[in-house]
Amino acid sequence: MLDFLNALPGAVSQGLIWGIMAIGVYLTYKILDIADLTVDGSFCTGGAVFVVLFSQGVNLWVALLAAMVSGMAAGLVTGLLHTVCGIPAILAGILTQLGLWSVNLAIMSMKANVALNIINPDVLNKLLVSLRFVQDVSKGTRPFYQHPIFVVGVVTVVIIAVLYWFFGTELGCSIRATGANQAMARAQGINTARNQVLGLMISNGLVALSGALLSQYQGFADANMGRGAIVIGLAAVIIGEVIFSKIFRNFGLKLLAVSIGAIIYYMVIQLVLSLNLMDSNYLKLLSAVVVAVFLSVPYWKGKYFAKPVKRGGVNRA
Amino acid sequence: MKHSWRAGAALLALTMAAGLAGCGGQTSDKTQSGGEKDSYTVGIVQLTPHEALDQATQGFQDALKEAFGDKVSFDLEYAANDPATCATIANSFVSSGVDLIMANASSALQAAASATGDIPVLGTSVTEYGVALKIDDFSGTVGTNVSGTSDLAPLDQQAAMIQEWCPDAKTVGLLYCSAEANSQYQVDTVQECLEGLGYTCTQYAFSDSNDMAAVTQTAADNSDVIYVPTDNTVATNASIVDNICRPAKIPVFAGEQGICAGCGVATLSISYYDLGVTTGKMAVKVLRGEADISQMPIEYAPQFTKMYNKAICDDLGLTPPEGYTAIEAE
Repeated sequence: MLDFLNALPGAVSQGLIWGIMAIGVYLTYKILDIADLTVDGSFCTGGAVFVVLFSQGVNLWVALLAAMVSGMAAGLVTGLLHTVCGIPAILAGILTQLGLWSVNLAIMSMKANVALNIINPDVLNKLLVSLRFVQDVSKGTRPFYQHPIFVVGVVTVVIIAVLYWFFGTELGCSIRATGANQAMARAQGINTARNQVLGLMISNGLVALSGALLSQYQGFADANMGRGAIVIGLAAVIIGEVIFSKIFRNFGLKLLAVSIGAIIYYMVIQLVLSLNLMDSNYLKLLSAVVVAVFLSVPYWKGKYFAKPVKRGGVNRA
Repeated sequence: MKHSWRAGAALLALTMAAGLAGCGGQTSDKTQSGGEKDSYTVGIVQLTPHEALDQATQGFQDALKEAFGDKVSFDLEYAANDPATCATIANSFVSSGVDLIMANASSALQAAASATGDIPVLGTSVTEYGVALKIDDFSGTVGTNVSGTSDLAPLDQQAAMIQEWCPDAKTVGLLYCSAEANSQYQVDTVQECLEGLGYTCTQYAFSDSNDMAAVTQTAADNSDVIYVPTDNTVATNASIVDNICRPAKIPVFAGEQGICAGCGVATLSISYYDLGVTTGKMAVKVLRGEADISQMPIEYAPQFTKMYNKAICDDLGLTPPEGYTAIEAE
C-alpha cells in the first residue's frame, strides 16, 4: 500500500495529462454529441510534432503551439469530411485516424519512435514536464513548482477557464446549441456545419496538446501511443460524470470533473499495478470493464433505483 | 440526493489527500555502492509478452537467481504493447524504490530512462541505444544510470547469408512493420549491405497485421527472395508470411530464430535467452557494486548461430550449405 501511495504523484500527473485529452473528448462527445474517433490519431500527431520540432531546437512553447495547431488541422479534416462530404461523423473520424497513421510516420521521418535526449541535463531542464521531475521534487532537487501535478494542473485550469469563457460567448453558445439540437439550431439561423468543424478543431487541438505533454513526460513519441486513447477519454468523461454529476452543475466544474475522472482512472491502473492485484496483461480488459461498469451505472440507477412516481404526480407547489 | 453529494465530496477529498500524501512520500534511499545486501528487488518492464522478449526476461532472471539465489525478487510487469503504460509501470518501480530496473524493448527503456536518473536501468532487446535515447555521436556507453544489451544481429553477415543460399537471386524484398523503429533501422542497414553485393532491394512496409497479408503478397510477387528483420509483428504473425511465401516458392530469410521457425528458410540468429543472461550478469555487477553503470558499454549477444528450417527447405527444394543446424521443432 505504501508503494501505491509513493507511486500516486506519478499516476496523478499522468492522469492530469490525459485529462486534457479527456476534456477534448468531452467537447465532442457531450457538447457536440459526436463520437469523434480522430483522437486516436491526433494524440500521436501532437506528440510527434512536438518531439520532432523540440529536438530540432525549436522553442518549447512554439513546439507546443505547433502540436496544438496540427491537432486542429486533423480536426478540420474530420469536420470537412463530415460536413462537406456528408460522411457520418464516426466514420469520418475513423478515416482521419487511419490516414493520420501515415502522416504521423511521415512527421517522424518514417520512424515509428522518436525520443527526446533526456539523458542530457540541458535538454531535460528545458522540458515543461517529465516523469523525472516527480522524483526530483520529492527529493528536493527541484522546486515544487516544477512538479508535473502543479504544472499540468495550472495548464488544465487555464484551459478550463478559456473554454468556460469561450462557450459563454455567442459563438460558443451556438456550438452548444448545435450539439443540443441541430435541427432547432439550424432553424435559428445557426451555421451548424461551421460549428461542428470548429468544435472538432478545438477538441483535437486539446487532444494533440495532451499528446505533446505526454511525449515530454515519458521522453518519446511513438506511432502506437494514441491507440485506445478514445477509450481512456471516454472513461474519464464517464467516471467524472457518474461521480460528480450531482454536485458539479456549472460548465467549468463539469470540465474539472472530466479531468478528475482521468486522474481516478490512472489511480485505479496504478493501484492494480502497485498491489499486484492482477497480471498486467489484463490491464486492457480492466480498462474495458471499468468503462462498461461506469457506463451502466447511470442506466441501472434510472432503472432500478428511481423512486416510483406517486399517484397524482409530484406536488411541485 | 444528499447522500450521493456527500459520497462525491468525500471521494474528491480522498483523491486530493492521497495525491498530496503521495507528494510528501520519500523514495526509499537504498545505497547501491559496495558489498552485498540482504535482499534485492528488481523491476522488469516488458513491452509485451512475445517469445523473444520472454526469453530475454527469462535469461535475465536465471542469471540473477544463479548469483543471488533467494535474495533477489522480481516484479515483472507487461505494458500490453502500449508505450504510455511503460511510463506508468516505470513510475511505480521508481516510487517503490527498486534496486534496479530491467527494461525489455525500446519504449520500455525510454520510459525507464525518463522515470529515474539514479536507479540503474539496464535495457535489453533494444537494437540501437543511440537511436532509442536520441544521443548524437553515440560512443557505445550511455554514461549515466543507463546501460544494457543490444539485440543487433550482424546485418552484413545476414546479407552474406542470403548470397550464400541464393547466389542467382536478383531482387530482395525487405518486409517489415512500419510501426517498429528497430525494424526500420535493420532494413535500412541490410539494404545497404545487399546493394553492395549487387542485389536490387525494395522495402515493403505494412502498418499492422491487417494489411500484412496484402503487402506480403505484393512482396512475394515482385521479389526472388524476402528478408524479414527482428520484427515483432512478423514474429507474432509468421504464419501469414509462411502461407503466402511457401506456395509461391519464395525463400524467406529471417533476422532471428523465432521468425525463422515460423516462416523462414534460414537465419543467422542471436539467442535472446543468452542476451538476457548477459544482461543479468551486468545487473549482478551493478548490484554488487563491482561496476559503475555509467562506465559500462552496451554489450552484444555472445554468439550467433546459423540455423535453417528443415520443413520449409524441403518444400522449396533447398539444401542448406555447410555449418547450418536445423531448428528443432518445439
